[in-house]
Amino acid sequence: MRAMGIACAMQASSLSSLGRDDRTNRQISLLLAIGFVGLAGATGTAYLVQRVSEGNSQLVAHTLNVQAALAAFNSANERAETARRGYLLAARDEFKARMAEAQQQREGLLGRIEELTRDNPRQQERLHDLRQIVAELDALQDQSVTGIVGVREALATDFGTDRAVVLTRAVRDKIREMIMAEQDLLVQRQDQQATTIFRFNLLLVLTALLVVALSATTLTLIRRNLADLRASRGELRQLNDELEDLVDLRTEALRRANAEIQRFAYIVSHDLRAPLVNIMGFTAELETAREAIHRFAARLEIDHPGTIDKDTRLAIEEDLPEAIGFIRSSTRKMDRLINSILKLSREGRRTLTPEPIDLAAMVRGILDTVRHRADETGTSFSVGPLPAVVTDRLALEQILSNLIENALKYLEPGRPGEIHVTGAELAGRTVVSVRDNGRGIAAKDHERVFELFRRSGAQDQPGEGIGLAHVRALAHRLGGTVTVESALGEGSTFHLSLPHVWQPGDSHA
Amino acid sequence: MHELHPGSTPVNIVMIEDDAGHARLIEKNIRRAGISNPVHHFLDGTSGLDFLLNDMNGPARNGPALVLLDLNLPDMSGIDILAKIKSSDELKRTPVVVLTTTDDKVEIQRCYDLGCNVYITKPVNYESFADAVRQLGLFLSVIQIPDLEEGGIRRGGEAG
Repeated sequence: MRAMGIACAMQASSLSSLGRDDRTNRQISLLLAIGFVGLAGATGTAYLVQRVSEGNSQLVAHTLNVQAALAAFNSANERAETARRGYLLAARDEFKARMAEAQQQREGLLGRIEELTRDNPRQQERLHDLRQIVAELDALQDQSVTGIVGVREALATDFGTDRAVVLTRAVRDKIREMIMAEQDLLVQRQDQQATTIFRFNLLLVLTALLVVALSATTLTLIRRNLADLRASRGELRQLNDELEDLVDLRTEALRRANAEIQRFAYIVSHDLRAPLVNIMGFTAELETAREAIHRFAARLEIDHPGTIDKDTRLAIEEDLPEAIGFIRSSTRKMDRLINSILKLSREGRRTLTPEPIDLAAMVRGILDTVRHRADETGTSFSVGPLPAVVTDRLALEQILSNLIENALKYLEPGRPGEIHVTGAELAGRTVVSVRDNGRGIAAKDHERVFELFRRSGAQDQPGEGIGLAHVRALAHRLGGTVTVESALGEGSTFHLSLPHVWQPGDSHA
Repeated sequence: MHELHPGSTPVNIVMIEDDAGHARLIEKNIRRAGISNPVHHFLDGTSGLDFLLNDMNGPARNGPALVLLDLNLPDMSGIDILAKIKSSDELKRTPVVVLTTTDDKVEIQRCYDLGCNVYITKPVNYESFADAVRQLGLFLSVIQIPDLEEGGIRRGGEAG
């Protein structure tokens, strides 16, 4: 009961720490995931900031381009007007040519400005106004240099009423207005971008803080998890210790119980023999007495024939010998059984001493002792590599002898026997297997064959059914086990599993 | 029938055996083997020992004897009786035949160590048991002589 209680407690505690682990693991995973998402976000943000500042540079360059084009336009416009004035004053063709050149430049720049400000409807509007003014100016300027003498003189005398001057001034104003608008736009865009970058930076800082916070939380969780693990490890160790104590206790109890049974078996079998000696002895006395009567009857028959009736003769000559015969065979059998129990109990009380054993040599020795019988039945042996083992020599030898002798004893009639002895090392234990191709054991008898006085299959071989019981008892005393694998008619394999190194304290016997 | 007569005194056979049946069988076989010496039968160790050590007709005081000893007695172990016989100055030369159902090697060894002369396991096979007892009779008639002569000399010395 206590063992079960501890087992349950252990299970429950391990389950609870498992549950705690699961929860913590989920938390850690979640936090790590959030951290990674945060990092990915920060990376994305950095990329966006980079893109934004690139766009910003492009916008600045664009504005500067527009402003430069506007300035160049203004300059061309001024040159055209100056050339026109020059012409009005000096009427030289040189001025006329310069004016035409400036006009052409001005026209080209207008196209360029239009192209540059295509995305800005308000600048386009202003450009439209500008184009109207320039168109009028163009007409006036062309008029000034072409021809009609009167007009040119009139203009030359009075610049104050010159319409072109007014228009030029209007152009100048419009250009300034456009440059200012462009400047405003630039400032506005830069502000907007500064705000965006600030927000991005803020986001980056927040992300960094988040990552730091997550790392701290994760670390705390992991530390707590480790502390839990340490605690449950300690708990486990304690439970394990308790369990070992319990096992020791149980082992001691088992050892005592087993010793008790051995003593009991010894006393019982010993005391059973005493009455058996009487039964057997007095049966012999009966037999002697019967012989005396028989002799007397024979003499009587000769001296006085017909004195002895049929029943009496039958009793003397048949019934009595038959009864005595049955008593004898039964007591003989009982004697063998009692001897078997005695032998088992004596084996159980023998002190076992571990020593290093050369298994291969031991198996060879056993095979040599049964060689003659093997040759008679045409049985062949094979011995695989066998591991070393430290155990009681006599006990191991008895176990292996029994197994090998059994293999040789229960052959399948008409099939040459093959017996294989192989060894293996499995998890610190030495396993010796004896395999045969004999008559096999039915599945229902696999456990039964290990019971005292129980035998399997056709009872056509001598024996009391003690060998395998003995083998199993010995194996248990050596801290080992014996198991059988077998199919009827196909053969059997007996596996003897022993601790690699047996110490007397390990035995439960 | 003949008696074992190593000297002038007949050898007393002292049988300590708690099982009446065994005792009867042993006696029958002794007789059947042709030995007619008196058999003193005791059912327990105490009375047997008392006879051996103290009785006026017992071997300690009066003449040679042969002890047939069972090991499993109700009041004490045959081993103890054997040890007492062999540690007694008067009895230590008395041959002791241990007759028991035990064929435990350790116990047999202990009996021989304590000075038991013959150890016979009571076999269920009655014929061989009878043979063993007969042979024991012959054996005793051979080995008794020097022992008893010694005893006789010693006793003679005492008398003189």
